[in-house]
Amino acid sequence: MSTHTQQSLEWTSIRVGDEIPPLDVPLTASVIVAGAIASRDFMPVHHDLAYANKQGAPDIFMNILTTNGYVARFVTDWAGPHAQLKSISIRLGAPAMPGFLLRFTAVVQRTERQGDLGLVDIALRGATDIGDHVTGNVVLLLPASDRTRLGKAHQRDETIGLGLIVDVPRTVGG
Amino acid sequence: MSDEHSVPLRERLEEFIGKPMGGDGPSVGPDPVNLPMIRHWVDALDDRNPIYLDDAAARRTPFGGLVAPPAMLQSWTMGRPTVQGIAERGGAPGTPGRSALSELDAAGYTATRATNSELEFERYLHPGDEITSTTMLESISDEKRTALGTGYFVTWMSTYVDQQGEVVGRQRFRVLKFRAEAGVPA
Repeated sequence: MSTHTQQSLEWTSIRVGDEIPPLDVPLTASVIVAGAIASRDFMPVHHDLAYANKQGAPDIFMNILTTNGYVARFVTDWAGPHAQLKSISIRLGAPAMPGFLLRFTAVVQRTERQGDLGLVDIALRGATDIGDHVTGNVVLLLPASDRTRLGKAHQRDETIGLGLIVDVPRTVGG
Repeated sequence: MSDEHSVPLRERLEEFIGKPMGGDGPSVGPDPVNLPMIRHWVDALDDRNPIYLDDAAARRTPFGGLVAPPAMLQSWTMGRPTVQGIAERGGAPGTPGRSALSELDAAGYTATRATNSELEFERYLHPGDEITSTTMLESISDEKRTALGTGYFVTWMSTYVDQQGEVVGRQRFRVLKFRAEAGVPA
């Protein structure tokens, strides 16, 4: 179980080249089936091993809605609750199957002020034991005009590095 | 039907390109955007962003209140499944009509693998929003040899609108419909 920071990144503290803390998702049949059914995707390849085998897949594999969901979680675990996703563009590669570790990593590729908002374009990768499951980009917006919109006045701790405004311990588990 | 099958596959596919998919009219979400489905998603993906379930925290954000996880967009208008027989129907939630996908199934390209998804969000959805979607078949590639097997890339674009008719998001989706070949690693 993960705990989520209640605070958000300040857009002005984000730099091109910043790395996003990795997210590790150990994959099990339960993880894959839970995502498929929560997204209302009843395609048998996501829950029925015999069916998946018949389709040429060695095991059941994660559905794309769940992949998108983990991508969204990965970037908002980092950016915080004020982040508004504008787009998720992904290319699917190796299927994400039980027994693998799915590890998300990402780098900030572009930032751009848009009035009161700041855009962040993130290039990401979700890799498994047999190669990249997903590669692509997420574009999000954060408030960028004044700090009061992020709640209270913050004392930014320069030693934190990425500019994360931390007042809640932040851990990410599997 | 026998006449239809004497028509070359490419010609049978062409008739679906640029046309709506999924039968008559838009797909209507069986339920409005709602907290129970959001909670299932949050638990399934262990996503603890407070804007999805913590109303007080969500009100302190620019969203002004609870919102649905954006990646759930496609879930809201997914058809209600008839679970009995779903494998025999190739995963179709209900009785599938004639479509480019059914033509490919009939021609032996029965396996499906998603290859690309481009989601765009105009706004986040709030509980109570009523979502409908319309899907247009954009293109079908020529037959391609891939690492998975021989098949066709099929691309469609879904547009999602709310109860006011405003577009809330879009998704371009590409799948490979292919012949599963024994011994080919997935």
